[in-house]
Amino acid sequence: MVKVENLHKSFGSLEVLKGIDSEIALGEVVVVIGPSGSGKSTFLRCLNGLEDFQAGEIYIDKIKLHDQKTDINEVRAEIGMVFQNFNLFPHMSVLDNITLSPVKVRKQSKNEAEEIALNLLEKVGLKDKAQAYPGQLSGGQKQRVAIARALAMKPKAMLFDEPTSALDPEMVGEVLGVMKQLAEEGMTMVVVTHEMGFAREVGDRVIFMDEGIIIEQGTPEEIFSNPQHERTKSFLSKIL
Amino acid sequence: MMTLDFGLMVQALPLLLQGAWLTIQITFLAVLMGTIIGLFLGIMRVSHNKILSGIATVYVEFIRGTPLLVQIFLIHFATPQLLGFSLEAYVSAVVAMSINSGAYVAEIVRAGIQSVEKGQMEAARSLGMNYSQAMWYIVLPQAFRCILPALGNEFIALLKDSSLVSVITLEELTRKGQLIIGRTYKPFEIWIAVALIYLVMTLTMSRLVAYLERRSKNNG
Repeated sequence: MVKVENLHKSFGSLEVLKGIDSEIALGEVVVVIGPSGSGKSTFLRCLNGLEDFQAGEIYIDKIKLHDQKTDINEVRAEIGMVFQNFNLFPHMSVLDNITLSPVKVRKQSKNEAEEIALNLLEKVGLKDKAQAYPGQLSGGQKQRVAIARALAMKPKAMLFDEPTSALDPEMVGEVLGVMKQLAEEGMTMVVVTHEMGFAREVGDRVIFMDEGIIIEQGTPEEIFSNPQHERTKSFLSKIL
Repeated sequence: MMTLDFGLMVQALPLLLQGAWLTIQITFLAVLMGTIIGLFLGIMRVSHNKILSGIATVYVEFIRGTPLLVQIFLIHFATPQLLGFSLEAYVSAVVAMSINSGAYVAEIVRAGIQSVEKGQMEAARSLGMNYSQAMWYIVLPQAFRCILPALGNEFIALLKDSSLVSVITLEELTRKGQLIIGRTYKPFEIWIAVALIYLVMTLTMSRLVAYLERRSKNNG
């Protein structure tokens, strides 16, 4: 589904990704953990072209992201992204937030898009908020709308960039619940998070990153119960 | 002790209002075209394309760095040499004011676009929208809301600056005042009347902007 080879990325003279190799299978839930500044968010953002990269190759379903000729908009339409700060469109109702891209990019009819949007809102438990504006929602509700908005494009994979980091603690659960449900339905997911409980319970594989490289990866069981690398051990001891 | 001849002010009113109507017309047209020019230039200025942003920067710097009066003279008196025909004063006035206003609007638009959180563009792009779609549906509506006061100020300034086109004998409000003074030798009364009419127009405009601001805020 996703294949990354020798990915290098620098911001100016600062190299944040120093050669990442990874493969993500269809339906797999990969959780990326690591200290801040380890490059995990940058890695995620490279996967849908929000960041360009200096060297390496990324294949999304055989499409080459590193190829100048690739239409990046087509790739992005296939990959949903959920941000730490929600990034809902504040000047539009919840319903319009969700239907805009399906209508403008996928050329769905307004009716069709709204029907899909309402179904998705029901799925994330917010059908009654369709006409509300983002400013009227709590953080947890915003993030669930953001997930519905990404799902409306019928993506082949979903990227989550610290989706619960900006939430009040009591709202983390509702967002993780939606994500867990998605995972159970077989969605391919890459999740950058500090929620170790989620990683352990939902993740098929955990990747530990530090200083721009993948230090180690494995099943949640392997990483959390029997980490091999010193840095993984010290990171886990600090947060668990 | 000098007294104001109110009778004369009332007598002059119909002619002055004729001029004011012309002032409103040319300002309206210049606001309209200035907004279109400014919108495109503002978008060009934030573009990653160096050529586009370069063109916009040169335009803005040139127009902002030279007096409107000189621009009016340039358009009105230099175009006949370049194009082989002369423009009507009305056309010259609207063109010069539009070009001038476009530069200021461009800067306002640029600031507005840059004030919209970067995540908005990213979210739109991550949903598969291309740059123009993201700009048009997501960034610009939000930018517009926050630049409305600045735009209002620009248009009020433009209305006042329109008095400069009196120099190319276009009979807008200021020119009408001059002409009446030429006949009556009563500058004090007439200039006061002229000033008051400008004041009424600018106050109306600022009310209108305040109303639009309130309305766009209530909207979500």
